[in-house]
Formats: sequence, C-alpha cells, structure tokens
Amino acid sequence: MKRDRHIPLTETVYYILLSLLEPAHGYLILQKVEELSGGQVRMAAGTLYGAIENLLKLKFIQPVPSEDSRRKVYLITDKGKEMLHLDLERMKHMIQVTEAAFIK
Amino acid sequence: MRKFKFFLNFEKEANWLNQMAEEGFEFVGKSMGYHFRPAKPEKTDIKIDYRTFKNKEDFIDYCTLFEDCGWKHIAGTKSSGTQYFKKVRADADEDIFSDADSKAGRYKRLSQMYMALSMCYLPIFAALITTGAIDAAGLLSPKRLYYTPGLWNMAGADFWGAFLFETPFALFRAATWALFPVIIILFLFFSYKTEQHYKKLMK
Repeated sequence: MKRDRHIPLTETVYYILLSLLEPAHGYLILQKVEELSGGQVRMAAGTLYGAIENLLKLKFIQPVPSEDSRRKVYLITDKGKEMLHLDLERMKHMIQVTEAAFIK
Repeated sequence: MRKFKFFLNFEKEANWLNQMAEEGFEFVGKSMGYHFRPAKPEKTDIKIDYRTFKNKEDFIDYCTLFEDCGWKHIAGTKSSGTQYFKKVRADADEDIFSDADSKAGRYKRLSQMYMALSMCYLPIFAALITTGAIDAAGLLSPKRLYYTPGLWNMAGADFWGAFLFETPFALFRAATWALFPVIIILFLFFSYKTEQHYKKLMK
C-alpha cells in the first residue's frame, strides 16, 4: 500500500495533533506540546502560528467556537486523527523491528 | 520623531530598532516612515514577523498568542505585513521562531508580496501604453518627448526659445512615463532579493 504523503509527521506536528484531541487555543497548545514531549519540544509563537495555519489548510485541525473572543480554539479532525494513527503504526513497526534486531 | 529607512532584511531592521531604543527612541509605529517617541534608553529585544490577515479576529488571535508567550505587539496592522514584537517577559523564548523553516518563511511571504505588487502595476502600464497615454518609444528616443509642432525644423533663436520652453514639460513626461517601468522593475528586484534570502536560510 502506498503511504500517505504526509507520513511521517514531523515531531512538532505530531505533538500538536496529539494535544488537540481536546480543544485548545494557541498558548495552551504550546504548553501541552512541551509537557507531552517531556520538555523536549519547545515551540515559539511565530512557528506555532505558521504550523496551525498549515494544519488548518490540510484540514487536520479545525477551529471550534469558544467563549474567549481574543483566542481561537482548535480541535483535531477525523482526518487529523487518522494521520496520528498512521504515524503511530509506522513508529510501532520501527520499534518492533529495531528491538528484534537488538535482541539477536 | 520620524525617520525614513528601508530594509529588506528583518534582522538588520530589528537591530536598528534595538539600537534606537538604546539611544532613547522608542519605536511606536510605522506609516510613512518609522515613528519614535523620546523615552528612557532601554535595552530591547525586538523581533519582526511578516504576515497579513484576512480579518480582525485572526489578527487579534495572532497578537494574543505572542502576548501570551511574552512578546508584546508594538507595531503593525492587520494588512501592514510587517509585525513588530518586543520581549516583555524574562521567561519568553529567545526568538519568535523555533525552527529554520518558519524563520525563513517570512522572507518567502515578503517576496510573494513584492511579486504581486509588481504584477499589479504591469497591466496598468500596459493599458497606459495601448491607450497612448504613455508613448513607450519616447522613453528610448528623447526627441519624441517634445510635443512642439515643427520644433526639430526650427533654427536659431526660434529653436532655442521653443526648445527651452518645452524642456520642463518633456522632463515631466519622461518622469511620469518612466515611473511605472521603474516601479515594476524595483519591486521585481525586491522580490528577487528576498527570495534569495529565503533560499539562503533554507539551505
């Protein structure tokens, strides 16, 4: 089967999608990404803004209504969830073959 | 105080604004030049992004995200393109970008804007030529800039009188006719320069 052209996801995209399984605005995404990555991935404002714009264009995430008039809130789409799933399978496979190779 | 300066490089522009702040001139806005207000000399960290927005909500959301991250939006409007931020929190990130792609991306957007601007003037220029408002050949042969009937067949004082009388008008014609091609070429050049900068950063 031909692999989806967006796979593999970049580390930042993966964490952004993962953090948007629940609705969140920009700054909350940054904090969640940092937390989920164990402090390894720290994104700056300008970079996140561009990433969100791109993910909206790809329809991996969508804006959702919110009470905060100053901050837009986003949520992952079904397409975005599918991407996360595909990348998870890819990584599982990598882990599996790598571990098998090391055990030998 | 107002200062006129032109930059194609965001780093150099930001450095200049930081330097002005250190000399006691606080940058407050940009429209027909840079506006400064006398202030206490301050060591600032100013960063520049390049973005335009479809609507006000998007623009507010953008500014709020930066402010949440410790970067105060100090100048720029919804459609101004250049957006200026000043670090206001010690725990803010070192830069407003955390990877090379997004840092370079603003040059790509700037380059596209100059290209679009240049292309906007092209049909206007073409229309002015086809309607005869601009005599394209006149740009190449200065004699055609003189409209005085029979000028080139006159001699002596008659010629010089008519020639000198018409010269300011000819110069004015040349300047207006050359304006459009000059603008188009200038914007194409800016687009090229910023595109080169983008490519250099992406390497």
